[in-house]
Amino acid sequence: MAKPQTASASTDYRAIERQEILARLQDRALALVNVMPPDSFTAGHIPGSVNLSIAEIQTKARLLLSNLSQEIAIYCAGPS
Amino acid sequence: MGLLAAIGYRNLRYYAGGMADWLEHDGAVAPLPPAAAAAQAASSPGLLWLEVVANFSLATLVGVWLGMIAVFGLLYWLAGIAMGWGLQAGNAAVNPDLPGLGTAIYFSFVTALSIGYGDVVPTGALRFIAVVEGAAGLLIFGCVISKLVSRRQEELTEQIHRTTFEERLNRVRTNLHLVFSDLGLVQQLQAEQGGLPDLVLRRLESTARVLRGELQAVHDLLYRCREMPNEETMESLLSNVIICLEALAEVTGALPGARSATLERMLHSIGQLANEICGECVPRQYAPELKESMDRIQELARRIG
Repeated sequence: MAKPQTASASTDYRAIERQEILARLQDRALALVNVMPPDSFTAGHIPGSVNLSIAEIQTKARLLLSNLSQEIAIYCAGPS
Repeated sequence: MGLLAAIGYRNLRYYAGGMADWLEHDGAVAPLPPAAAAAQAASSPGLLWLEVVANFSLATLVGVWLGMIAVFGLLYWLAGIAMGWGLQAGNAAVNPDLPGLGTAIYFSFVTALSIGYGDVVPTGALRFIAVVEGAAGLLIFGCVISKLVSRRQEELTEQIHRTTFEERLNRVRTNLHLVFSDLGLVQQLQAEQGGLPDLVLRRLESTARVLRGELQAVHDLLYRCREMPNEETMESLLSNVIICLEALAEVTGALPGARSATLERMLHSIGQLANEICGECVPRQYAPELKESMDRIQELARRIG
């Protein structure tokens, strides 16, 4: 449970795999953020994701994700 | 990604595969358009079928297995009536009557369990149906067995989790208590000598390090844990944290300007962790008293960090 991970970790992001997302779909500690445009989001997204398109990040991020140390998995259309 | 990090999110993770990878592996999609659902089901029918079956509960699985045997038994029997080629027991065809139905179901069981005594044998196309039943029966029965085994295993894992969890809680409590008494000692020395000799300073450093570790544990407990200690335990933990932070704030507040880099770093880290233990930011609902304790911790964090 107590993984050695400091709160001030570098801005380097860690990867997350499909299996982990799948296993944690019900886990509220993990927020799923879909950064695709709203219409792509409505067309289909991983259940439980919130939509935060690139254009909206500056304005809406703090509203949707109030906790800065919240664990957040980000994804978009595919490998880019 | 970079944009979110720039705002200050610290726990970002990137799912590089994205929707493409998700869909490729039949991940659930919301909302599920009917066409996509059909396409998904068609893309890998064999595996999907097995996965759906494996997710059934134990009772359902046994039910499905028995139902399959009954249906196949009936099929053998009806084939005998309708088309004339059915099961053969010895050298005689099985009669299309009630005892015949019994024989058909018996044969179905023997096939599904892949026993294959050979006292009743299928003829014609029924042989292929029997092979299909044998394969399906084995797979479903395998699911039943694995369900039984994994259930026991889950119980054990759960038990182990709980034990380690409780041990961890106890350790955090003990450590916090030690930190507190150590800080008291340092405080006393400080009062007696009007400053801190090197040795005591180093002791303070190591105490701060332990406090930092335990604070991280409490922090993790509040932010991401599967099981929760009850509120009473949480309250005692938080009040322990409070007295430790109060003592630390007092000791460091009276410390002459020159602090070692290590101590400075520890204090910064402690301040940061404690700052995130506040009634508003913890993502879980607690009793109001706990919120107050958390707010007090945050207040102390500002003094230290």
